[in-house]
Amino acid sequence: MVLGFAAAAIAMLIALIPAGIVLYRGDLAAAVVAFEFITAVIVMVLALLAQAFQRPSLFELPVLLAMLMFGSGLVFVRAMERWL
Amino acid sequence: MAREVLCDVLLGLAVVTVAGAALGLLLMRDAYQKLHFVTPAALVAPVLVTLAVLVRMGLTENTGETCLALLFLVIAGPYLSHATMRALRVREKGDWRPGGNGKASAEEKEA
Repeated sequence: MVLGFAAAAIAMLIALIPAGIVLYRGDLAAAVVAFEFITAVIVMVLALLAQAFQRPSLFELPVLLAMLMFGSGLVFVRAMERWL
Repeated sequence: MAREVLCDVLLGLAVVTVAGAALGLLLMRDAYQKLHFVTPAALVAPVLVTLAVLVRMGLTENTGETCLALLFLVIAGPYLSHATMRALRVREKGDWRPGGNGKASAEEKEA
């Protein structure tokens, strides 16, 4: 295991706590912004963990999530604009 | 040894960037201000992480896939920020344009 990458992944997960608070306690608009923030950070966390555990196959996950982030973000934004 | 130190420095910078952005997200007043703090986490920190992987692994498949994830983040980030800002304005004013009459027409809403 590569310790630096694992430590960075854990630190980033801890740094998500403020965003989680905004997601839980903020209004709808702030929650959507927090969702985008969390998704972007999770992409990095997945890449860091794949590198930390030396599993090349796990590098598919951040690529997939980065692709899905665009679609899911637009779905939430559109729903917020039109219906919520 | 130097590569490991450089890699750790890059990872540390990425963590500091994300932590600072998370605090900004928590402390800012409204969604417009909070949105500014998504960019460092969605653009700056991924670049640093990709550089760290590149420094550690060299040009390998892992680095390539990390670069691909970075590419998607770089493309998606500005679009999402713009779309979010536009949606917030439509929610508030009824129209995203500065000179709008405050109510989007039914056709515009359908478009």
